[in-house]
Amino acid sequence: MTKAHGRRPWTFYMLAALFTLFVIFLYGPMISIFVLSFQGPTGGLVFPLRGVSLTWFGALFGQARTGDIGGAFSRSLPLALIVLLITVLVSVTAGFAFRRRFVGSTAIFYAAIASLIVPGLVLSIGILVTFRFLDLPARWYGSALGAHLSWTLPFGLLIMFAVLGRLSPAYEEAAYDLGASRWQAVRHVVVPIVFPGMIAVALFGFTLSYDEFPRSWLTVGPRNTLPIEIWTMTTNVTSPALYALGTVTTAISLTAIALAIGSIAYIQRKRAMRL
Amino acid sequence: MLQPASATDPLKAVAPRGSGEIRLVNLTKSFGNLQAVKSINLSVPHGSYCCMIGPSGCGKTTILRMIAGHETPTSGEVFIGDQMVVGQAPVQRGTALMFQSYALFPHLSVRDNVAFNLKMRGEAKAARYARVDEMLSLVHMTAFADRMPAQLSGGQQQRVALARALITNPRVLLLDEPLSALDEFLRLRMRGELKRLQSRLGITFVHVTHTQPEAIALADTVVVMNQGSIEQAASPHDVYANPRSTYVARFMGGQNVLTGKLRATDDDAALVDGPGGARFRVPLGGTRPGAGSSVNLAVRRDLIDLRREQGAGDPKENSLHGVVETVEYQGIFFKVTLSRIAGEEFIVVEPEAAFFAHPVAPGDAVVVSWGDESVRLLEPDRAAGDAIQPYADDTSS
Repeated sequence: MTKAHGRRPWTFYMLAALFTLFVIFLYGPMISIFVLSFQGPTGGLVFPLRGVSLTWFGALFGQARTGDIGGAFSRSLPLALIVLLITVLVSVTAGFAFRRRFVGSTAIFYAAIASLIVPGLVLSIGILVTFRFLDLPARWYGSALGAHLSWTLPFGLLIMFAVLGRLSPAYEEAAYDLGASRWQAVRHVVVPIVFPGMIAVALFGFTLSYDEFPRSWLTVGPRNTLPIEIWTMTTNVTSPALYALGTVTTAISLTAIALAIGSIAYIQRKRAMRL
Repeated sequence: MLQPASATDPLKAVAPRGSGEIRLVNLTKSFGNLQAVKSINLSVPHGSYCCMIGPSGCGKTTILRMIAGHETPTSGEVFIGDQMVVGQAPVQRGTALMFQSYALFPHLSVRDNVAFNLKMRGEAKAARYARVDEMLSLVHMTAFADRMPAQLSGGQQQRVALARALITNPRVLLLDEPLSALDEFLRLRMRGELKRLQSRLGITFVHVTHTQPEAIALADTVVVMNQGSIEQAASPHDVYANPRSTYVARFMGGQNVLTGKLRATDDDAALVDGPGGARFRVPLGGTRPGAGSSVNLAVRRDLIDLRREQGAGDPKENSLHGVVETVEYQGIFFKVTLSRIAGEEFIVVEPEAAFFAHPVAPGDAVVVSWGDESVRLLEPDRAAGDAIQPYADDTSS
């Protein structure tokens, strides 16, 4: 770190170089797409940049050339929000339930976690086949919602296990001791204490659903979600509108993450967690 | 630490509801196959300070939690005042529990932590905060009202926990190892404050601890627990100076335990054959052991005469020969440990002046002797677990 420690070993420089490569590999493509999305009207899919414009962002919302981006977004966002809500609600309540050992709790836990291991595409096919068999239509708000939940719920549950595992039962007992009803203890003590964890669950629910491809692929029905729409576009759209789309969706994801992390940091600071 | 009452006497804020007498009747608690509390009976008078002491797992915290209503007895009854409270919620009992971890709500300020009970009862904010200010001044934490718990030291957190419990106007305050998280200096200071607070409030305190000096210093009644049963419930002086059983004598410290065989009894004393031909004369208490039976006796460590051996001779009654192992200076007295006598530790505590009158050093052969008033017969242990070692043999700290 300082001169007092002498020269750094050669491994430091090797690992630093490796890490730089990794960062370039990770963010380079994203930055390329971000830059190219501002391509001028006469520009193409590759560098060089021919002028700077917002042309392709405009083109996103004209249905003519680029497919139904606006429509796909108007499905993906509400879907992600519904998934977020259900994931938070179910994970938190299930987390509470699992604090007390009940008959069959281990079996139920493993059954819930198993869907993390099943490949998404297989699950997608399975859901489609089942819906066909039951003569139910595949829709983004039905079969796709279920497919997404099979992915987000186990995650949410695992996060809540970690969060509630650190919650001392003494807090609830103190609340009862001070005259709180069960509901008041949950509302005024437990939920505020585990709230940062709930934001993390919400973030997972939202982002996992928003960019989910394999589980949406066959279950989404006649109207596509955003990731499916983008995938379809790559096969027939050959304009920088594709990049503009990439920039917009990435921005939305980053906003969601920033909001979540920001609010967790705010809560932590408010509690002045100095211990 | 508690200053005289000011213009607005905070004590008026605490108006206990009814009698805080506690009666436990055949109280039993089992966890699966384990009997944590074995049919105990205990009565704690209103407005007294009761300390329950015993090693980890002796059931003392379980009893406290059953009084508080956080644990349901397997059988038996808990009375507070004249009410049978089993089945009642904690808040109906008029008890308040101070948790070992304090359990201050990390998301609420000191003020809102203390106000919690009033908020749950639906009191308006202004009224709540007025009462909170009174309670905070009672524990000298007014300046910290806007802090968050994480910004407080251990001692400050404890005061807040105390204020938060007392704002409920309890008739019984239950304290689960309240001083164990504090450093030695703070522990002694808070110990004094707890005692003063209890006598000023005049409510019943039940305090669980595993530290002997704490129990002795605080309690009106010390309840010594062993494996789910009460070994002795008596005044601090009695459990310390007149332990009922071998267990209590060993656990509380302050006594050397000797084992012997009862030779005979005369009118007011038992004649006991001890290790190595020693003969003891022990005043008979309530017990009348039969001749030939094995008996334990306790000798006060601070009432023993310690001399260097002056040539051989017939051992006198109530004396033992030994070799000094260690000599510890402990400030105002000396603690002299002899090499084990019949497997049992033997300690003599001498005031400075007495020690310097006849100093001894490690390796010296010595004779210890004592008078009738220093020795008493012990009841044999009821519990099979005689092997339990005392928590601390120190008479100091």
